[in-house]
Amino acid sequence: MTRTTTAIWRDPGILIVPAIAFLVLGFAVPLALFFVETLREIGSFADIVDEAVTTISSRAVVNAMFTTNWIALLVTLLTLFAGYPIAYVLANSDRLRFTLILFCIIVPYFTSVIVRTYSWMVLLGRNGIINQLLLGSGLVDHPIALLYNKLGIVIGMTYVLLPYMILTLYAAMKAIDPSFLRAAHALGASRTYAFLHVYLPLSAHGVLSGCLIVFILAIGFFITPALMGGPSDVMIAMLIERSVEITLDWPSAAIMSLLLLAVTLVLYAVYYRVTDVRRMMGT
Amino acid sequence: MSGRSTGRFGRRRVLGSLAGASVALPYFWTRRAEAAQQLTVRTPGGAYDEVKRATVYEPFQKATGIEIVPVAATVAKLLAMHRSGQMEVDLIDTGDDVLLQLDQAGALEPLDLKKFKRTNPDDIEATVKHKAFVGSFNYAMLMGYHTAAYPKGKEPKSWAEFWDIKAFPGPRTLADMASGAPDLEFALLADGVAMDKLYPLDIPRAFKSLSRVRPAITKFWDTGALSAQMLADKEVVLAALWSTRLGVAIDKGAPLGAQWNQNAVLGQAYGIPKGSKASEAAFTFIDFSLSPEIQAAWLKAYKAIPVNQKAYPATSPELMDPDTKVPWTKSKGYVRDIVWWSENRTKVNAAWSKWLAQ
Repeated sequence: MTRTTTAIWRDPGILIVPAIAFLVLGFAVPLALFFVETLREIGSFADIVDEAVTTISSRAVVNAMFTTNWIALLVTLLTLFAGYPIAYVLANSDRLRFTLILFCIIVPYFTSVIVRTYSWMVLLGRNGIINQLLLGSGLVDHPIALLYNKLGIVIGMTYVLLPYMILTLYAAMKAIDPSFLRAAHALGASRTYAFLHVYLPLSAHGVLSGCLIVFILAIGFFITPALMGGPSDVMIAMLIERSVEITLDWPSAAIMSLLLLAVTLVLYAVYYRVTDVRRMMGT
Repeated sequence: MSGRSTGRFGRRRVLGSLAGASVALPYFWTRRAEAAQQLTVRTPGGAYDEVKRATVYEPFQKATGIEIVPVAATVAKLLAMHRSGQMEVDLIDTGDDVLLQLDQAGALEPLDLKKFKRTNPDDIEATVKHKAFVGSFNYAMLMGYHTAAYPKGKEPKSWAEFWDIKAFPGPRTLADMASGAPDLEFALLADGVAMDKLYPLDIPRAFKSLSRVRPAITKFWDTGALSAQMLADKEVVLAALWSTRLGVAIDKGAPLGAQWNQNAVLGQAYGIPKGSKASEAAFTFIDFSLSPEIQAAWLKAYKAIPVNQKAYPATSPELMDPDTKVPWTKSKGYVRDIVWWSENRTKVNAAWSKWLAQ
């Protein structure tokens, strides 16, 4: 064996090759084949463009895209506001508290999404625990609608996506050198001033990556909105599923999926630019 | 991660697992080689298979030595298997509307029921016999109600009454497009169309009628589990749902009732896909599971109506109309026209999206 080949084998980068090969063969190639095969069914290139324009400009898709983006935006903001304080505490805790909080974040994360969604339905229903508490305490005189509307979807999805936000923020906050804050205090900054002018700007790239990752995951969500939403809360993934499974209209499913994929890839490109992946891995 | 902890997943451990895998490998190979003794069946899974294992699969294995291996596959997956020429199931057990779609795509082998050895094909209901698939049981889309809101006898007796949200207040649920078909027939029945004049459905009139009941609809359900859950939790007090789901919920003690007037008769069916690696065993299984004794034992437990008329005497009493001594589906129902639905599903889907956006 020559020296150069040995060098290649010693490069730790080689370890990622099986993972990439798996992704390409198991995901990218079948996906590309699906799009090519299905779109070919429509006919010539002009026909495909025509069909794409009709599908994407149809009222159902326009409405679904609007609902999808609106819900994803609300969920992103809510996970940010709920997740930032938790991540802050996590990044500034001693070992025991850290383990405890992390445990509380990670365990639900590994529980099936369906199970978690059904649990929320038990809590939020018309005769659910929350409404019974409100009725029993006399705060309301008839049940309030927490489920089968946008509010239900937003509550369910915020809960499911919260760990992604917290862990991303945590990674960014962990990289902040605590001596910066000590220096700020030593120079006479109040706690609030130091937080607003030192900590917050330093954690900003974490906020941006956290928001992007949650938004990207949220626009493709299916189970939670399908179960917890109301009659008119149709998200784009639900429309795609209906085209694939019920009407067997695969060409329009392919066009809607391409639309979703394009939006996701654009957001991912932004994510890639703002996030220093190496720093997130802690190397 | 520290260097020490990687030691736990070190070379020895990996080699050990590899050795274990190599011991297990021949086992999988032999199982593949004995594939003639197995029949891979697409089924709805879950509780459906639990009931069927004890009442059909195990007796079948005892009688023929063939083991049933249930697998999950949606219609899209089955169609994809057919198109790619890699059919991975030997028999399909699903709704007759799905089998019709597969048949229209050329994915099914024709069935010759005259070759049955255990079942007399003449005992099978004429409505469930098709060129390439045959019904295995019937059930209904019917009206269910919560008895705390409507005691037995006080519930709506027709879809017109179900639509009357002033006389019969309370939240309701109907089927979503995502369940396969929204309840356009019930909307037309509520609007005064006669049960034998439903097809071809007047789509605009049906949606106009649906708009009248929409203010009382909490949610349109997309899976059978959700419909029964919503009714049992009293999220809704009136529902259109599947008789099997309702029957099982009532059996478990949920305070629910069934109103069979104007029910839509639906069917579960068998079809053998082209490319089935065990089409003969699949045919034997169809023959076996349609025989009167097997139908009786299985469908009594599953709360469904046999397609073999010889099995009627053993049918659950709550599924039989006491006045006419035939199943409710026959005395009070109409058969959903799966051909109309397969020709119009795309059109209904577009109308449904448009209507929801209003």
